[in-house]
Amino acid sequence: MIDVSHVSLCYRMPVEQYSGMKEFLLSAARGKLRYKNFWALNDISFSLGRGEVLGIIGTNGAGKSTLLKVISGILKPTKGTVSTEGNIVPMLELGSGFDFELTGRENIFLNGAILGYQEQFLLEKYDEIVEFSELGEFIEMPLRSYSSGMVTRLAFSIATVVKPDILIVDEILSVGDAAFQKKSEKRMLELMGGGTTVLLVSHSTKQISEVCEKALWLNKGTMVTIGNAVDVCQMYEAGI
Amino acid sequence: MKNIRKICIWAIVIFIILAVGFRLVAAEGFSQGTVHSTMVTEKAVVGELLAGTSVTQTFRSECDQITGVTVLGTTYGNSVEDTLHFSLCNSQGDEIASASLDTVGLPDCEEWFVSFSNAPSGYRDQILTLNIVSENGLNNHAVSLFYGDSQSAGRYEVKVANEYPIIVNGTEMEGQLCLSVSGENIYKLARYYWAFVVILFGGLLLLCGWILHCTKVKKNTMVLRFITAFIKYRFLLKQLVSRDFKTKYKRSVLGVLWSLMNPLLTMMVMYIVFSTLFKSNISNFPVYLLTGIVCWNYFSEVTNACLTSITGNAALITKVYVPKYIYPVSRALSASVNLSLSLVPLFVVLLITKTQISPRWLLLPFPIVCLFAFSLGIGLLLASSMVFFHDTQFLWGVISMLWMYFTPIFYAVDIIPLKFLTLYKVNPLYHIIRIMRILLMDGVSPEPKAYILCLFASGVPLLLGALVFKTTQDRFALFL
Repeated sequence: MIDVSHVSLCYRMPVEQYSGMKEFLLSAARGKLRYKNFWALNDISFSLGRGEVLGIIGTNGAGKSTLLKVISGILKPTKGTVSTEGNIVPMLELGSGFDFELTGRENIFLNGAILGYQEQFLLEKYDEIVEFSELGEFIEMPLRSYSSGMVTRLAFSIATVVKPDILIVDEILSVGDAAFQKKSEKRMLELMGGGTTVLLVSHSTKQISEVCEKALWLNKGTMVTIGNAVDVCQMYEAGI
Repeated sequence: MKNIRKICIWAIVIFIILAVGFRLVAAEGFSQGTVHSTMVTEKAVVGELLAGTSVTQTFRSECDQITGVTVLGTTYGNSVEDTLHFSLCNSQGDEIASASLDTVGLPDCEEWFVSFSNAPSGYRDQILTLNIVSENGLNNHAVSLFYGDSQSAGRYEVKVANEYPIIVNGTEMEGQLCLSVSGENIYKLARYYWAFVVILFGGLLLLCGWILHCTKVKKNTMVLRFITAFIKYRFLLKQLVSRDFKTKYKRSVLGVLWSLMNPLLTMMVMYIVFSTLFKSNISNFPVYLLTGIVCWNYFSEVTNACLTSITGNAALITKVYVPKYIYPVSRALSASVNLSLSLVPLFVVLLITKTQISPRWLLLPFPIVCLFAFSLGIGLLLASSMVFFHDTQFLWGVISMLWMYFTPIFYAVDIIPLKFLTLYKVNPLYHIIRIMRILLMDGVSPEPKAYILCLFASGVPLLLGALVFKTTQDRFALFL
């Protein structure tokens, strides 16, 4: 399902900051373009089968989000390869594809298209999305008149309407009021239990050991260990 | 698999329809075109053409087949009984054509046309000499011809090089005969049209066969990946275009009407400026101007929209995987929707100015597709440059202004000094706008070379832009 082999990712950071083309060209002409290599990921390898749930833990800046981005294809690894099968739904930041001038209805189709759903599918699931988001007649209003809770509710409803082959979650989502939180958590657990391969990033070891079978501990871009979720979480807690 | 076979069949059918349709529609002007060389502005007359007086003018032929000449003459208000003998000689001095003009009843101070019945051909770019001899002109009872040494450009007169001065009875004079040579240009390239079509058709068949073979053996090729990605992201493209279109005029009162009014208003402003302040002698100036404006506006809209297409969608690009070219392409497509709307006022102006409706207008999609490809190519270049250097947007503001003045939008190309003309001809927009104008205003098809130039002018920038975009796109996410 997901096969990550020897993945490394290097950010080239210029030692000096260039504020524009002129400065850049000047220093390039002088032969003073110096870069510092920063390895955000270093030789990561693992593979996941269908329906497996992997938790990723690590301190801030350990490369968790970078790893997710590499797997979802946003970043291309400097070395190594990633191969995935099936459609990937990233739930990194909900609603980043929304246009606030458009109505909720139009945004369902726009955001759905960005997540890679087809028109036919969205037409079928339209009622389900509206119902789950509890927006009612607000769905015909432009998004700029929504409260922030309403926006995240709509985004969550669109992202989870599909049963993706691979689901990528950065921090488990607790959106909306208490009632909706409960509902969304149930939906997430349903998705995770339903044959979807899940990659979950969380700071909460409690959550990881509850939801995941396997866990991966990242530290400064390198893989510390991968294995049974409960064991890795215990090691991680002991390590810090 | 089934889909791909369907696409291949469609591609072949559409190709055949286009190839045959193009040849049928482009009939007039494609294989040969009529040309008239420009006459110098009259300065004075050469004096009465008495019996035996000869007027000799040497010129460079601009056409393959010479059908006739036009001179500007005067009868001094009399009815003159004379016959002018016109003879045309090649550089060796052999006569290649001759004709006579009976002066009885000729209009005073107007153009006199003489046709050569044998229409000699094969004289393109050759130096020819026209000799006019009067048979029996009498004192105070003879005709005369005008000559001059300048050409009009707008409200100014520009001196022309006096390479071949007019010779009257053996004496050279300051200037040239007011002479316009009419002829036909025969475009040899047009003869190879069907050969060209057959080669392309063979290429298309091979490509289709290869793609089908690849799908059968499950080999993943670039073309195949491109097709499947296109099928997958077609809906997204549609959504992005409709989003751009909906939000563009969302809170304005007139809404979509602005797409129609914008080019019309720009044209009116420019028309007022250039028909009163700077006089222009372009025929059918409103259409000339509006064609230029519509093309330029489209180019400017596409490039400016593409410029920010990657940086403006940074939030999305760093979060969801979508092929990155989708963003600039969707912006270019939304601008195309706008272009099709702004064609409406163009056709309204064509009707108002009573321009002859021509079947050649059906060829308009050709320059429009070329314009799309060219603008997208530049847009892709700008979009990737913008990611690494934010200076691009300011730089582009200046460059695009320069480019606008460098493109003949509100002036005619003939006011450009000859030494700068080569510079003009490397401007792809010049070729594209030129085809548009020939199709719309003259109602004939341009020569085959114009199409080839247009294809190159749009294909090369598109390929270059796509190549740069493709090689840099993997690093976008790191710089956003």
